[in-house]
Amino acid sequence: MVNVLPPVTALLPVLLLGVTGLALLLVDTVSPDARSNTSMAVVSALGALASLAATVWFVVSGTGSVDTGGAITLFADAIEVDTMALFFTAIFASVTSLVVVAAHDYFHDHANPAAFYSLLMFAATGMALLAVANSLAVVFVALEMVSLPSYVLVAFLKQNRGSVEAGLKYFLVGALSSAIFLFGISLVYAATGSLLFGDVAEAVGSIDSLAGVTGIGIVMIVGGVAFKTASVPFHFWAPEAYEGAPAPASAFLSSASKAAGFVVAFQLFTEAFPVGASLAADINWVFAFGILAAVTMTLGNFAAAVQEEVKRMLAYSSIGHAGYALIGVAALSQDGGANGAVMGAAMAHLLVYGFMNTGAFLFVAMAERWGVGRTFEDYAGLARRAPVASTAMAVFMFSLAGLPPFAGFFSKYFLFMGAIDNGFLWLAGVGAVNSVVSLYYYSRVVKALFLDDPATPSALDALDVRPTALYAAVVFAAVATVLLLPGFGPVIETAQAAASALF
Amino acid sequence: MELTFGILVDPLSALMLVIVTLIALLVHVFSLGYMNDEGETGLPRYYAGLGLFTASMLGFVVADNLLMAFMFFELVGLCSYLLIGFHFREPGPPSAAKKAFLVTRFGDYFFLVGVVAVFATFGTAQFAGPESFPALAEAGEVVWTPGGLALDTRFTIVGLLVLGGVVGKSAQFPLHTWLPDAMEGPTPVSALIHAATMVAAGVYLVARMYGFYALSPTALAVIAFVGGFTALFAATMGVVKDELKQVLAYSTISQYGYMMLALGAGGYVAAVFHLTTHAFFKALLFLGAGSVIIAMHHNEDMWDMGGLKDKLPVTYYTFLAGSLALAGIFPFAGFWSKDEVLYEALVHAPGEPLLFGGYLMGLLAVPVTAFYTFRMVFLTFHGEPRTETARDPESVRWNVKGPLTVLGALAVVTGVINMVPVQKVLGIEGIDLLHRWLDNEWSGIEGLSSHHYADIGPYSSQYLVGGEVGTVLAGAAVSLGLALAGLGLAWRLYGVPSPTEHTAKLGGIKDVLYNNYYLDELQVWLAYRTEDVAGVADTFDQGIVDGVVNGVSSVSLFGGSRVRRIQTGVVSQYAALLTLGLVALILVLGVTGGWFL
Repeated sequence: MVNVLPPVTALLPVLLLGVTGLALLLVDTVSPDARSNTSMAVVSALGALASLAATVWFVVSGTGSVDTGGAITLFADAIEVDTMALFFTAIFASVTSLVVVAAHDYFHDHANPAAFYSLLMFAATGMALLAVANSLAVVFVALEMVSLPSYVLVAFLKQNRGSVEAGLKYFLVGALSSAIFLFGISLVYAATGSLLFGDVAEAVGSIDSLAGVTGIGIVMIVGGVAFKTASVPFHFWAPEAYEGAPAPASAFLSSASKAAGFVVAFQLFTEAFPVGASLAADINWVFAFGILAAVTMTLGNFAAAVQEEVKRMLAYSSIGHAGYALIGVAALSQDGGANGAVMGAAMAHLLVYGFMNTGAFLFVAMAERWGVGRTFEDYAGLARRAPVASTAMAVFMFSLAGLPPFAGFFSKYFLFMGAIDNGFLWLAGVGAVNSVVSLYYYSRVVKALFLDDPATPSALDALDVRPTALYAAVVFAAVATVLLLPGFGPVIETAQAAASALF
Repeated sequence: MELTFGILVDPLSALMLVIVTLIALLVHVFSLGYMNDEGETGLPRYYAGLGLFTASMLGFVVADNLLMAFMFFELVGLCSYLLIGFHFREPGPPSAAKKAFLVTRFGDYFFLVGVVAVFATFGTAQFAGPESFPALAEAGEVVWTPGGLALDTRFTIVGLLVLGGVVGKSAQFPLHTWLPDAMEGPTPVSALIHAATMVAAGVYLVARMYGFYALSPTALAVIAFVGGFTALFAATMGVVKDELKQVLAYSTISQYGYMMLALGAGGYVAAVFHLTTHAFFKALLFLGAGSVIIAMHHNEDMWDMGGLKDKLPVTYYTFLAGSLALAGIFPFAGFWSKDEVLYEALVHAPGEPLLFGGYLMGLLAVPVTAFYTFRMVFLTFHGEPRTETARDPESVRWNVKGPLTVLGALAVVTGVINMVPVQKVLGIEGIDLLHRWLDNEWSGIEGLSSHHYADIGPYSSQYLVGGEVGTVLAGAAVSLGLALAGLGLAWRLYGVPSPTEHTAKLGGIKDVLYNNYYLDELQVWLAYRTEDVAGVADTFDQGIVDGVVNGVSSVSLFGGSRVRRIQTGVVSQYAALLTLGLVALILVLGVTGGWFL
């Protein structure tokens, strides 16, 4: 399989997503009569699935992996396709397909849902581009390509004040963060004289007197990453955006967009600012990530514990999970034997998280579609009328909490083990304490669904509506969450091999 | 140290698997007659409990290490609790269930400490293989010995700790008190759990780790003495009971005493043999009792029965077969196994006072057993019907008769799997199938054979009269003679058309026996004595343990509500906090990294 196809075809997953988005836009513009919610959803789903299929094919056949000659570089090294990029593209494509399927039901009575699908596709394209970026310029452009559609996705329900307000707040915080990120890039460029990851890394190794400038630049870049991953202190947008946005958009942002932030972090802080060279130059970004990880985990989980609305609880829980995944960069060390292991575990956690978190938000989307209300009390007794969906939700909750026998248990286990192996016992300890706290609020949902009595006997009448596509998406996500347990072996091996290739 | 889960199938566990699955199957079939046909409610709960029990028991049997065995040991205990308390709306069953749970838990507490001690001593709890703890004990390789304790003493302590669980589960003195009360459960449950399988778990556990016990003569002697004592002690209480299942309960305790006696006497095969035959004939007797109970409209008092022989022929003849086996009458299954138990104890007893005491008590229990067994048979099936119900009993269907027939046949013929006395006396080679089976003759695991256990055990055989053959014959003759004597006495007293109570002749002993030697009262008294200790533990649990947990949750929720306040909803504050956070981060890293110098 080595080099059978021209190198540019390595971008096929990215191109498929982009072309699908353009096609949707084209149909929407040229032939408004032909657009219908269903046809748009079907085309988007097909595009996302095709991209997923191409990605999986590439991973299986070893495109860009160490065994087949290493990463494929394109466009004067501005793009680099490696296994990690493909791994994350698989996450993006999976989440996108789930969200598309769910959106079909969610926007069943929306006047013009076509824009939602094309925006979703463009954001996904941006994410996939982020994954393959090998230059700070490409990273910035791709990041904006993710962010701009995201703002619109959040504000998509333009008649809804909450949605619009959330979109605006997201945009303002996002603009500030982008500015900081860009400033950081310019500082790094000023100090190193290059935007390409490889050249930057080389320059960082002999930075000498410019260490201060580079360091400030790097911390600002960390800030940009923290914004995308919804980590403290750049997390403020997240609870409000997730809560105000249409639930499929929340699912997309909290799963795929967060993973996009992490792929940037993983690529940047291995290829552009390698841990060894940075520490030698007294730029201890590992410590910065350590603080961020611990604070983010703690803030996310403790705030989630006192929420009254399920969606807002999930928003904070997603901040907490960003903290867990940050361990993947916070637990790196110079010559650490488990560097690849811990980063790979973080990647695997993000994959599992992609399914369980998307599924949880889609269940919320279903509740919104039913119109049962937003608080824990409003969810009381739903299991009586919707046992399958409620069981799926219970699976998501327990998996998010990291209980066996669900996939979330293994990914978190490997993550904490990797941190311990690399000498970061304290991070694993903070993570474990936070997991205990998280079990409290996750099980509140399960308790409400299965044990509590509905407030009024007629409270459940709304459940006569059967959103088939949403159901299918939720159930599929649940099945994936469960099946990732037996299938965890190949996932973690691929992830750890991909991460190890970067060290 | 590694904790692993695995499956261990060797001749011993394979035999046990056959017993458990066969009896579980028959009991499930019998339940159709006893529960479904009687119109019981809550059947899903019943069958769920039965299924969970069977699964747990099989898990226990195939467990390849002590920790896994402990977990399944607890699970069968839980199922026992759930099934004893099946009729939870009546006052008796829930209380009996609690008692069974608490008393066995008391023993399990020692077992748990024992499991930890095994891990601490050997670093492993595997049963089989060169790295197993019996093998390490044999080689004297321990990883930790506290305070320079001699190895023998240490092994004895560990063995006795584990024995705590065995004594509780197999209802040995002094933790036997739960079993008679457990008869509150449905009769098929009694047959499966409280006769054939779960109570066998204790004995099975000793057999499973016999390579370890064989190294400790003290532990073996204790096992033998406790076993022999329990055999006699429980049998005497069975003599005065009026309820069918009560008699069977005490007889169960007594029979497990025999198995413990055999294990303590180095009779590994004899114990397993008696375990096998007992499982069949005692399950049979319980199911037979269940059939009688159906016929008598759930009246269990034997004084209200009589003359059921002609009305329930299948039940009668199978029950009779089981009774003959229990009493140890030639050539029924129980004769062969009990004879071998006593023979093993006898030939190993010289020079071992504890073992000899156990043997004597076991021997004395033989006529008592035969007496109470046939007292039960005569009162139930013979003579004139003493009540209206006994005159016109309800009939039972195939699902009751079928299991009875199968078990009845087994109670008659199971002895042929181990005809050791015949082999020794007549010199026919190769009919000691069970001996060869457990000696890995067909296949097995190195270090888990009866031969190996005999090699490392402390005993040597000494024959009393006329060498081996003479001892075999004398032993068999004595025990058979005693059994026949007991049977004859029962016949004389109760084998008459209208039997009367003879318990008054016992005088003061009668009350003692009726009240089970006041052991229940003693245990209650002890429980009240230790109430203060329990109170302190409760205060600790409620105040400190729960207090810490509650405190943590209050602190977490309080912290959460504080964190929540940061999220004000005002974007300019977000921007300020975000920027300040970044600046703080830059300052921390800059100062520590010396960027500003």
